[in-house]
Formats: sequence, C-alpha cells, structure tokens
Amino acid sequence: MLLPYLLLGAILFVLGLIGFVTRRNLIIMFLCTEMMFQGIILNLVAFGRYPLKGAPTFDGQVFALFLIAVAAAEAALALALVVLLYRYQGTLDANAYRMLKDE
Amino acid sequence: MPTLLIAILTLGAVGLFLAMPGGRADTRRVGWVVLAAAGAVLLALLLRLVPGADPRGLFAGFALVAVFAALRVITHGKPVYSALYFILLIFAVTGLLVLLEATFLSMALVIIYAGAILVTYVFVIMLAQQSRPAPYDVKSREPVWGCLAGFLLLILLARQIELFLVPAQRTPLPAPIAEAPGTIEAVGVPLLTEYVVAIQIIGLLLLAALVGAIAIARRRPTTRAESEGDE
Repeated sequence: MLLPYLLLGAILFVLGLIGFVTRRNLIIMFLCTEMMFQGIILNLVAFGRYPLKGAPTFDGQVFALFLIAVAAAEAALALALVVLLYRYQGTLDANAYRMLKDE
Repeated sequence: MPTLLIAILTLGAVGLFLAMPGGRADTRRVGWVVLAAAGAVLLALLLRLVPGADPRGLFAGFALVAVFAALRVITHGKPVYSALYFILLIFAVTGLLVLLEATFLSMALVIIYAGAILVTYVFVIMLAQQSRPAPYDVKSREPVWGCLAGFLLLILLARQIELFLVPAQRTPLPAPIAEAPGTIEAVGVPLLTEYVVAIQIIGLLLLAALVGAIAIARRRPTTRAESEGDE
C-alpha cells in the first residue's frame, strides 16, 4: 500500500521540478516549488501511516505540518521578491533578471 | 514490471514534451492523448498494487485528479488558470491524506494552501496581469532537456522505491490506527511535547519571513537610469 503513494509523491515532485525548469513566468516557477512540497507531504504522511517496521506513528504528520510552515514562509518571501522585481523591470520573465550575472 | 514502468514513464515524458506551451495546437493535442494513455496504464499498474480491502477506487480517483491538475499547472498558458488548477491539486492531495487517516492535516492543508497561500499567489498574478498573453507564458524554456532530466530522475526514483520496498512487502501491513486517527489531539500532543523546540523555531522562522517580506516589498525601486547615474 505504501508503494502507490510513494510513486504518486515522486510523480508530483518531478512534475514540479520540470515545471520549475521549463516555465519562464516567475510566479508559475514558485507555484511549481509548492507542487514539489505536495509530493513530499504525501511521502511523509504515507511513511507515517505505513512504516516499514513497527506501529504507525504521527511523526510524519507533524513533519508535514512543519513543512507547510516552511512553505508558507517561502511563499511570503518569494512573492515579496517577485513584486519587487516586477516593479523594477515590469515583466515576470525570469530571463529578464540578469542583474546578478557577471557580464 | 520495471521495464513496463520505464516504458510508461518514457511515454509520459514524450507526451509532456509535446504538451508543453510553445508547440503548435495540434501537437499539443497529440501530447495530451499520449499523456492520457500513459496515465491510464500507470493507473492500472498502481491499482494492481493496492490491496482489495483498501478503498482503491477513491485512491485511483484522487491520484488521477492530482496528476491531471499537476500537468495542467505546468502546461497552461495563463497563470491564473495555473493557480486554479493548483487549488484542484490541493484538494486531490487532501483526499489522499484523508485516505491515509490524516484528517487534521488535510483540513490544515486546505485552510493554509487553498485559503492563504494561493490567495496571495492569485493576488500577485492579478497585480502583474497583462492584457494579452505574455511571450514568456507562451513559450517554454528548453522543454526537451527539462522533460528528459525530470523523467530520468523519476525513473531513478521509481527504481529505488521498488528495490527499497521489496523486503518490506513481505512483512504484514500495520493495522489501521484504531482510536483518534490523525485528529488534532493525536497530532497536537507530540507537537507540543516531543517537538516543542522545533515548533518554537518554526514560529521564529515565520516571524523572520514576515518581517523580511515586508522589508523587501516596501523597498522603493530605483530605475536603471538612476542607478547608472549614481555610479
């Protein structure tokens, strides 16, 4: 029963990764990181419910709660950065932000 | 089974590449057909692994919705629709969490993600909305290499998951949690006893992120001409 959940978590994680690499809109890129978090949450809770040995525990759910808190912090900071960058350049294209690149 | 799994995932990679934004409309349609075929076979394969006693129909439904919504998030050309499909993904994951007897966590996920984080995303998307489709939404960046790298990773992960679970499958599955499965009491007591230091640190982290976000967002931007004039 653990395997389908792990596989689904891996699929969600990889789809988020592909989206992060291939999309050029900054907001969609950060949305894709949130999608990777969903895959990880599914993994954690599935491992808590169906541990490889021993009785089921709630530790997976507690870790998932911490993960949600980190995701919220990440979303707040990322969106603040996106708003600031949008005010600088007037575009959400990730290719437009090359100020850090050494030319 | 490994070769079959690899074949399905490769098919999925090809379908996703065809369906990425940037291609012609008819190739994107072909990509969706390929993706649907790969998804159907994968679902049948997953269902064979689910024991009959578990609610396999519900798992199949939620898994299908989750993967479809995830694909739409990364292939849709309009950011607002991507965000809405992400909310659909949240609801599918919530259903899966309920199947895993994590009821409190599933409700927390809906409230925090669909209710708070996604509203912020939609707000920022609307702030930066453009009247016609932006060029950076229409064309994706290096879809070939992105899909290739992602699906190589997925194949590797699937292999590892399989190898890792072969010894574990022989042991009997743990019984369902009898009393108070995943309620706020079951999660809250370890949260405030065993993990009390961690929750303090998380609180500090959230505070720091809040202050940082405000400090970043209220900074007055200087235009490029001004900053060059300063130098």
